[in-house]
Amino acid sequence: MATRTVEVATGVPGLSAERAVTWPKRTKARLSNGLEVILAEAHSIPKFHGELFFRSGNAAVADRAPGLAEMTATVVRTGTAKRASRQIEEDLRRIGADLSSGAGADTSAISFAGLSEFAEPLLGLVNELAREAAFPEPEFERERRQKLEEVKLERTQPGFLASERLRKVLFGAHPYAQVSPSEAQVAAYKREDLQKVYRDAYTPENGLLLLVGDFDSQAMLQNVEKVFAAWTGKKPETKTAPAPAHPRGRRVYLVHVPGAVQTQILAGYHAITRKNPDWVKLGLTNSLYGGAFNSRLVMNIREDKGYTYSPRSGMHALRQHGYFSVSAAVRNDVVAASLTEIFYEMDKLRSLPVPEPELADAQNYLSGVFSMGLATQDGLLSQLSTVALNELPDDYLETYRAKVRAITPEELLATARKYLDSANMQIVVVGDRAQIESQAALFGELEVFDAQGKRIT
Amino acid sequence: MKRMQVGIESTTLANGLKVVIASDTTAPVVTVGVYYKIGFRLEPQGRSGFAHLFEHMMFQGSANAPKMQHIKLINSSGGVLNGSTSYDVTNYYEAVPSNALERVLWLEADRMRALKVDDENLKNQRDVVKEEVRVNVMNQPYGGFPWLDMPPVAFRNWANAHNFYGDFADLDAADLKDVQAFFKTYYVPNNAVLLVLGDVKAEEGIALAKKHFGDIPAGAPPPFADPSEPEQTEERCGNVEEKFGTLPAMAIGYVMPERRTADWCAMALLDQALHGGRAGRLHRELVLEKQIAVEADGGIDDIFGYNGPTQMTTRILHKPEYSSEATLAAFDAVIREVQQNSISADELEQLKVKWRSDYYATLEGGRGGYMPKYGLMHLLACFTLFDNEPQLVNTILDGFLAVTREEIHAAAKKYLRNEKRAIVFRTPVKASAKEAA
Repeated sequence: MATRTVEVATGVPGLSAERAVTWPKRTKARLSNGLEVILAEAHSIPKFHGELFFRSGNAAVADRAPGLAEMTATVVRTGTAKRASRQIEEDLRRIGADLSSGAGADTSAISFAGLSEFAEPLLGLVNELAREAAFPEPEFERERRQKLEEVKLERTQPGFLASERLRKVLFGAHPYAQVSPSEAQVAAYKREDLQKVYRDAYTPENGLLLLVGDFDSQAMLQNVEKVFAAWTGKKPETKTAPAPAHPRGRRVYLVHVPGAVQTQILAGYHAITRKNPDWVKLGLTNSLYGGAFNSRLVMNIREDKGYTYSPRSGMHALRQHGYFSVSAAVRNDVVAASLTEIFYEMDKLRSLPVPEPELADAQNYLSGVFSMGLATQDGLLSQLSTVALNELPDDYLETYRAKVRAITPEELLATARKYLDSANMQIVVVGDRAQIESQAALFGELEVFDAQGKRIT
Repeated sequence: MKRMQVGIESTTLANGLKVVIASDTTAPVVTVGVYYKIGFRLEPQGRSGFAHLFEHMMFQGSANAPKMQHIKLINSSGGVLNGSTSYDVTNYYEAVPSNALERVLWLEADRMRALKVDDENLKNQRDVVKEEVRVNVMNQPYGGFPWLDMPPVAFRNWANAHNFYGDFADLDAADLKDVQAFFKTYYVPNNAVLLVLGDVKAEEGIALAKKHFGDIPAGAPPPFADPSEPEQTEERCGNVEEKFGTLPAMAIGYVMPERRTADWCAMALLDQALHGGRAGRLHRELVLEKQIAVEADGGIDDIFGYNGPTQMTTRILHKPEYSSEATLAAFDAVIREVQQNSISADELEQLKVKWRSDYYATLEGGRGGYMPKYGLMHLLACFTLFDNEPQLVNTILDGFLAVTREEIHAAAKKYLRNEKRAIVFRTPVKASAKEAA
């Protein structure tokens, strides 16, 4: 079961002295209407990136219908009181801008990027979309029909089927269980439902505007004040759903796709949110386990055994709950063998302290990759949004590397024991039942579903 | 209008290796790339998929850095790495904290000097590549559509028309002799360019390049098969089955003019007029207005990154209640409109601003969010290997910004002709869910 002996390289140049990592200064403000604004300068190209977040996503309105916030965001860009859909698209092109709107479980967002020389008209359009979206009836109908085709299509994608099933298994009655609506639910969407989501969630008090790029922060802040000052609106009331139950004992969920020539494995279990003080430790544990190319699982089932192309583990931080998962698309005849290795590597991390040199390698990896966020405007934007949306301390970026480097083998062992809960992992396999059922059943009581989510026997 | 200029230093070592440095001290990160001028177009006949399989082998061990050490040494320096194979080039790249620059150059030089792989490595990566093909193509709805489906229909020269990911029988037939012969033929310093971008001084980068790569012996100039195509004089059509998806699909590809000509620049902007997102004419007409299609997108794939025959390709997934004929007729109406009326001066102006903005994004752009300056690296490498002119990065925009309405009109009439196109229909085996219910 162990991987073959690894030979070491000879004559490798050492690392020279590290250059300091300096995160750019952030300018923070709150407008009189409550809108939170964070700006950071990055002069790599004569452009800027921005994102206007609202702290309400699909989970906040899941009691009305799954995916309602996403559908709202989709229709937001299709018309305002002043501009029709076609006008919006041409105006964006006229200023060299890209814009998209969408919603995840916890947030809705309008994301945009454009030339710095046209910052004002782009911010103007974003303001218009946030305040004066008109939800034109024909646009709504078209986007709904479009959505119907999308939800049909995603049911033919193994990766989607796996993550949908895992979320249902982990979150049960909690809104996080819903990753996508059914066709019937999309068909039942009403324009008024979207408008209500928009009225409640798209308010300055619920908003966070992030801008990163080639601009002068003070001048940009004045610009922002000018553009967004007249907007008003309260923070919506938030309801917190009861915490999901934690399933006990390994169970296997097989999603049957007749004729599949490969099996998508996805196993996961409840873990933590980003605010949890164990987050950085779990991050390091994850990169040792399967979160990096050089991780134990990738070396084992890809580089040693050739079972799969893209094995990976990761942490998924939703606002209220987080979970850990590991995935691999494997050859049909090695489903059991792959799961055996997936659990072997997990249990090994739970049983033995990580040798110091391996720990140091992983610490270097995590802190090095973290700093790459500095090098591009959208990389920096994504780091800043993680800090702001998760209400992490202001010095999170500056102190992250030191935190990673301070972690000991004992702490890692404790972290793996706590969160790589191999005895309770919920296992999803998506593939052809006839080829994989007996292999998958070795790992726990097994239930079978079809691609529509219906239980079959 | 603010124009962006990239500072570039370049040189050629005595062994023929070209070296390009672009300094930028914004972040303490350096991006290193080595591009070899060999892609899947010119892999050996009977060995389809070999250029890509070979790319995997370059991570399997070199003289002083055995298997797993390349990956381990980059990751443990705080960096990321990958490689990719395309039509005319294969690349290997790393982004690392700048204190690991010399280590990265040492590793790249070690595998340019001598590959050290065995049968077990080859079998392992053959298995990995098969799972890559399954996860990206054979087990996905519309997998490989149209990038793998179009070439055998559109082209006549094997170089352009074969299965680039590889038939499994060909992958199985590849042996270590093939690996070493391919390495010896194409992976010579005089067929490559080294790029160092970011936190490095030009003189330091060049000195380190000489130190680590300077003593790698030059090889014979690699032989290059001619990838040119006979003149196409008739519309070509093909059919492929779709195993998982339920929507009928089609792809329409038109042969592109020669790169770096005025026609090529005009076609690039015409491509944006047709395919440029939600404002693009095809999306607007087929998806938004007529609502025949669920997707209508595509365009010229990697416009700066190819050096042989290619197409501008539209990919359409349409609603089953519309026939292929009706869908194609709606597509043809969009093409006819630009052939008759060109595009307006206002539209052309919009397209140029967007083109410039997109170009800057390309220069900065990462790959999958984790490889700073991937785009700049790619352009510098291709302009060096294809044109011996890395400075094109700073001047190539001019040609696009000078395109006129008349040139767009002429290009539409000259290149968007039925006898210059190929169409692939990808037809679902299953009826749509609605009809089946």
